[in-house]
Amino acid sequence: MKHLQLNHISKTFPGVKALSDVTLSIHAGEIHALCGENGAGKSTLMNILAGNLQPDEGTIVLDQLTQIIRSPQNAFALGISIVYQHLSLIDSLNVAENVFANDHPVNKFGIIQFGKLYEKTSLLLQRLKLDQITPNTLVSSLSPAQKQMVEIAKALSQKPAILILDEPTASLTDKETRTLFEILQKLKKEGVAIIYISHRLDELFILADCISILKDGKYQGTFLKQNLTKASLIKLMVGREINSLKSESYRQIEILLSVKNLSGQKFHNVSFNLHRGEILGLSGLVGAGRTEIARAIFGADKIESGDVVLNNVVLNTNHPFDTISKGMAYVPEERKSLGLFSEMSVQDNITVTHNNLTSHIYNATEAAQRSVELKDKLKIATTNVQQKVVNLSGGNQQKVVLAKWLLTNPEVFIVDEPTHGIDVGAKFEIYELLKSLASQGKGIIMISSDMPELLGLCDRILVIKKGTLAGELSSAEATEEKLLTLSTY
Amino acid sequence: MLSKILQERIYSLAILLIVVTIVASVIFPNTFPTFENLSQILLNLSTDTIVAVGMMILLISGVFDLSVGSVVAFAGCLTAYVLHFLNLPVPVAVTIGILASVFIGWINGYLIAYQNINPMIQTLAMLGIVRGLALLASGSAIQNLPYWFNAISQSKLLGVQMPVWYMLLTIILFTFLVNKTIFFRRYYYIGGNEKAADLSGIRVKKMKVIAFMLSAGLAGVAGVLLSSRLGAALPTMGRGLELRVITAAILGGASLSGGSGKIPGALLGALFMALIANIMVISRVSGYWQEIILGIILIGTLWADKVLQKRFSKI
Amino acid sequence: MRVILLLLCCITLSCELPPRSSTEVVKQSIDTEEIKTKNEEYVMVTTAVTMPMYVNHDQAAFKKWGEANNVKVSILGPAEWDVPAQINTIEEVIGTHPSGLLINGTDPALAQVINKAVAAGIPTVVYDSDIPNSNRHAFIGTDWYEIGEMQGEEMVKLINGKGKVAYMGILGLNNMEAGFQGMLDVFKNYPGIELVGKYDDKANVEEAARITSDVLSAHPDLAGVCGFDSNSGPGIALAVKESGKAGRVKITTVDWEPEHLALVKEGTIHMLAGQKRELFTHYGAQFLYDMVHRTNRLSQSDLKAGITSIPYIVNTGLIKITKENVDSFLNNRE
Repeated sequence: MKHLQLNHISKTFPGVKALSDVTLSIHAGEIHALCGENGAGKSTLMNILAGNLQPDEGTIVLDQLTQIIRSPQNAFALGISIVYQHLSLIDSLNVAENVFANDHPVNKFGIIQFGKLYEKTSLLLQRLKLDQITPNTLVSSLSPAQKQMVEIAKALSQKPAILILDEPTASLTDKETRTLFEILQKLKKEGVAIIYISHRLDELFILADCISILKDGKYQGTFLKQNLTKASLIKLMVGREINSLKSESYRQIEILLSVKNLSGQKFHNVSFNLHRGEILGLSGLVGAGRTEIARAIFGADKIESGDVVLNNVVLNTNHPFDTISKGMAYVPEERKSLGLFSEMSVQDNITVTHNNLTSHIYNATEAAQRSVELKDKLKIATTNVQQKVVNLSGGNQQKVVLAKWLLTNPEVFIVDEPTHGIDVGAKFEIYELLKSLASQGKGIIMISSDMPELLGLCDRILVIKKGTLAGELSSAEATEEKLLTLSTY
Repeated sequence: MLSKILQERIYSLAILLIVVTIVASVIFPNTFPTFENLSQILLNLSTDTIVAVGMMILLISGVFDLSVGSVVAFAGCLTAYVLHFLNLPVPVAVTIGILASVFIGWINGYLIAYQNINPMIQTLAMLGIVRGLALLASGSAIQNLPYWFNAISQSKLLGVQMPVWYMLLTIILFTFLVNKTIFFRRYYYIGGNEKAADLSGIRVKKMKVIAFMLSAGLAGVAGVLLSSRLGAALPTMGRGLELRVITAAILGGASLSGGSGKIPGALLGALFMALIANIMVISRVSGYWQEIILGIILIGTLWADKVLQKRFSKI
Repeated sequence: MRVILLLLCCITLSCELPPRSSTEVVKQSIDTEEIKTKNEEYVMVTTAVTMPMYVNHDQAAFKKWGEANNVKVSILGPAEWDVPAQINTIEEVIGTHPSGLLINGTDPALAQVINKAVAAGIPTVVYDSDIPNSNRHAFIGTDWYEIGEMQGEEMVKLINGKGKVAYMGILGLNNMEAGFQGMLDVFKNYPGIELVGKYDDKANVEEAARITSDVLSAHPDLAGVCGFDSNSGPGIALAVKESGKAGRVKITTVDWEPEHLALVKEGTIHMLAGQKRELFTHYGAQFLYDMVHRTNRLSQSDLKAGITSIPYIVNTGLIKITKENVDSFLNNRE
């Protein structure tokens, strides 16, 4: 039986106090949820437990013994396993090799026993009900959800006494989420201590026994689930009440963008109009072709046939530069790999597109001035605009991407999963921003898998299924059931 | 303040250079700090530095070119061929030599950016091809080049031979361009995140082709200057230059993964290596030991840089 | 703006063009009556300083000479075959004013820097290959054309003046091209000889072996191969042995390292055209020494008289090694 106790943990990064005086107690056989906005210090805490970071102050006590976790190997040895939010799998290897990455079964000569490796992996996969995957499937051929499950299998392969999960359901389907919850309940009965980090508050109330809250690196307390409501939890996390979504339409009659019989590699014959001031939702399952349609409109992917008409002019594009200069903006789903220059400053990130369009000589003073304006306007939390983007939290990074496009003053915004993996506070700020853009007569195409978000924000919702337009619902008639029905049947 | 200086490679390297210069002046007061010796060091590193500027731009955008050493030889030999066998005037011959180099850069860039051929393999193959072309153009070597061609590099200004001035001009010009123009700043974005740069409206492929053309063009200029300085075109010019130049650029703050590096770093990196080499010649370190010592100093410098950065970033 | 233009004009005007031709180089007087023996030091600058043949012959003899005469000798130069780097090294050495410079004449492009050394008053001797268009004080070495001739004549004898012949070396080197020419000029008189190719083995044993085996598969009736760099011989011999044609395909090549000699002994290589490299640097250094010490003064002031007191050109001649005389060379070295 394990009992993990964190005493007065503090950690400071240059310019940021990531954790201050955090004390937590986690018992065996308990699912302990940890929540807080992005940047609240959850990841730092987790990295300390994983041995990736050392606390500046405080102690970690495991079964009455004070431990210093020097490295990830050290953490494994102490029975701590972690499922990371950002996948740690190696694409070019198969499932079994990934699951037992550091721990291949070997014979006494140190030669890998592949038979045993595959057998052990396949047992684990069965336990996770992953029937479609075999141990020798290449990881690169898996869907994001399947990868996440493999990641979980990897953690379980260590037979951990303490299991930490960071946003495990962010890319999982409902069915997979249910399987995961069953497994976690079973592990809990076996006496495993589970730390569960998530933004999805609904999940926490289903799964957790108790909930601890961090805000700005400070511990806000641990509560039994029964003593909390969603509203009170949000208040603890954000420190303020959040206005619920209320939709007010700014839709005008004038058509801004018109997509006519557009076909590409993964979609066929898609036609729709976007009005000025309209927020148009694109709903559908992951892989239905929504992102591909968006990229094609933006000029990032090849169009096989069909036209994109902006302001009654047919666009002839072979590169995003053409659409950008005509007034389009695209916020990609994969923020880190497609949207940001992580090692560059906030200023460089914000000004990249604007500069690319306008002038030949770089004016550092002007760039700094504009960046500071936008930083203040969007409340980007950073000490100064010379800070590298990689040091910002997810929500602030997304604001940086949005700021970049605000600077070019486009007419059409295409936003792809704009609030994916972002904390509640920043989410609402982004909603407000999108609404204010609509009120200025901009057109917004929003791709999202978060149905409440679509229903709350959009004037109309298009449903994409297998690369074709499966239906259109106005905000009045749309419900979660209807959207789901259209996208699956 | 100190940590800020150590964070930026060009400052820490400049400090190191000053220290090395002072120490060498104290140890060899008669031979090292003379005008003759110092201008000789600059002259000797001018070829490498001009090529390193192009390489720096490539490294900033996350690629590199192994064929530059061969291009140096090719440009020199082709120019000499045109002068010697076709008897064309000097400006025409020089233009032909440099344009041919730019063309080689275009081939590299086109195949790498548009056909997705691995840059390492592409430029390595080009290294062989271009070296062969240089051999074809020059045979063993072309001697007795016209006076006005030799005058390009053998003239002196303020007592210093011209290639040094060309090098300084290149450094100043490209430092300005890379710091101050949107066009060249794009390379930092491309090296930082190629896909994000593309989605931000930067035509990444086109920019990459231009970078290869520029780098090869500068190698061509270096080749013309070198053969003018030697008064002859040798097909063996620029052997192993590509690795020296990449080393200089990385010493000067570039990284193989792209996104970082500053143009003056190319000069400082090359200057550091040239200083060490010069001190070894002056102190008569035997030829066998020079490469070993240079290697150890390079590793030591980069290692010390990492250690100091870590230590001071905590303060 | 006008100031800048004016400044630019001034700068351009102060630009100093190079002398019109090499003979215009001012011959600086060094012939002070006092003999320069303080800090006496002789510096050898070569390229490919780590090449075994250079190390074992040229440099070993040079060092031995230094010890015997109790003067300081230094060996400098790049590790790779890099003529511009050799030139850079010489330029830097000139600044340190050594007593004498011994320069491996790797390429005619050295002429300028040699002139610069001479103008700076440094006694300068070129060895191995001559740099004829320079003002060097003396040259000691061999004529690569003769090496080619020797190989050509021996090959003609070995294959009775007819059959297919291939040859290889480092392409693009001046001395080697002269060697090729010497050989080709001999073959010209024998129409029965068919040349199947000129190859670049890049001074690399594996490359020489690969080329030879490719040529052998293309021409099973290959009669002979001539090699022109140190590593050609061992590479050619290896491929010929592996194809089971040792002794039948005639091989002539250069240099007489122990492995070359062993291959002659076993009959795979038929002739070696060897250079007397030890003599190059020994006498080269001695010439410098004699010049500095004015051992043989010919006039009141040799420099004022426009003469040097050492030989102008010395050809050390070649060594021809075949199966008949190979034993004497084999036992010579420990």
